[in-house]
Amino acid sequence: MNNLFNKRLAAPLVALFLCSFALAPIAEARDGGRAGGGGGAARASSGGGGGGARANAGGGGRQVDNSQRDARTNDVRNTSVNNVNSNRNVNASRNTNVNSNRNVNVNVDNNGGCCGGGWDNDYHPVAAAAVVTATAVAIGSMVRTPPANCVPVNYGGIVYQQCGSTWYQPQGGQYVVINPPY
Amino acid sequence: MKLKKLTPVLVALALGAPGLHAQTSPSRSNAVDPASIQALKDMGAYLRSMQRYSVSTELTGERVLADGQKLQHTAAAELDVASPNQLRARMYSARSQREIYYDGKMATLYTPQQKYYSSVEFDGPLSVLVTKLEERYGVEIPLYDLFTWGTPAAALDKIESGMNAGQDFIGPDLCNHYAFRQGNVDWQIWISVGNKPLPRKLVITNRGDEARPQSVTLMDWKLKPGFKDAVFKFTPPKGSTAVELRPLDKSKGGAS
Repeated sequence: MNNLFNKRLAAPLVALFLCSFALAPIAEARDGGRAGGGGGAARASSGGGGGGARANAGGGGRQVDNSQRDARTNDVRNTSVNNVNSNRNVNASRNTNVNSNRNVNVNVDNNGGCCGGGWDNDYHPVAAAAVVTATAVAIGSMVRTPPANCVPVNYGGIVYQQCGSTWYQPQGGQYVVINPPY
Repeated sequence: MKLKKLTPVLVALALGAPGLHAQTSPSRSNAVDPASIQALKDMGAYLRSMQRYSVSTELTGERVLADGQKLQHTAAAELDVASPNQLRARMYSARSQREIYYDGKMATLYTPQQKYYSSVEFDGPLSVLVTKLEERYGVEIPLYDLFTWGTPAAALDKIESGMNAGQDFIGPDLCNHYAFRQGNVDWQIWISVGNKPLPRKLVITNRGDEARPQSVTLMDWKLKPGFKDAVFKFTPPKGSTAVELRPLDKSKGGAS
């Protein structure tokens, strides 16, 4: 009975905690599973609660999954602005570019080529065609973890992972391959 | 019966009302209503007089895709502020979490999920910090305008049109609603009525793109916050890694 309970529970529990991306609860769930059915379930759920609480404390709650997102959503030509008095937002690069190049993919080089420029706007215009990059990894593709040899670079307030000519931007629990931000 | 007798009076009142208002309200188009500018000055002066406060914000922004279709996104932030030179900002969205610390000597950006932090030495008031961070590093502080209203960085003479748009409730607060045009943006602000003229809502329409992407910012204020000065000082958490903050590459057309 214990074994049966154990087997039935273990797989969904592990799946559940993989979704939460919380590593500690995964380990706890596995340990709990070995220790026995009832105990495993109880400990696993407390572990899950802990993971959720940590994520909530960080503000995100459950981790988002953008892996199914259409590539077109990254082809950003412009964004809203968040403040009135910033020179950049109102008078500088963005609007200058927009006015001279309406309806073209103008946002690519704005703000030094970075990140859309708002504190909310951590979408990189990855699909824009203006920058041709010799990269082995397709722009816009999502990965869970960038390669181990990447170097973190903080540009425009976003910490990218640079692996040679390939750049990864963190996005939710994943990374999206982007054009170089500068 | 009573209603029938009243109706002509009501109609007369309704017809008469616009005429009466026309005499007192400015109605010229493309003019800057001085009272609306004064409301911004009063709000700015009040903001500059505040010593310690917390403000939380929810923002809805828009991206315009290549074909003009718009997508909305949301983000939230919590700011703890001690004038003139201390700030902690925590920014949350489904895509990232970021924190900014400024204790008057050092400004630090921290990404709690990846445990990376970048520090730059800085001194000066918050109004200068927010400008420099943006110009030099492309880092925008949430509610940027809060730190510039009431300072020379918020140049009111750039406003080309300004008008009172009436009153509205934001949450429980009765607010005066003003609408301005300035460069490539139209913006609207809702300022609390009474002796604490705080901004409660800000809407900015970017006219630089024909899709007119718009942001909506709501602000909630805590005027007697419980935080201590220690919250402004960043101490690298265990296991965190320092990353250099790279200045904007000006050759790529970044902000000047």
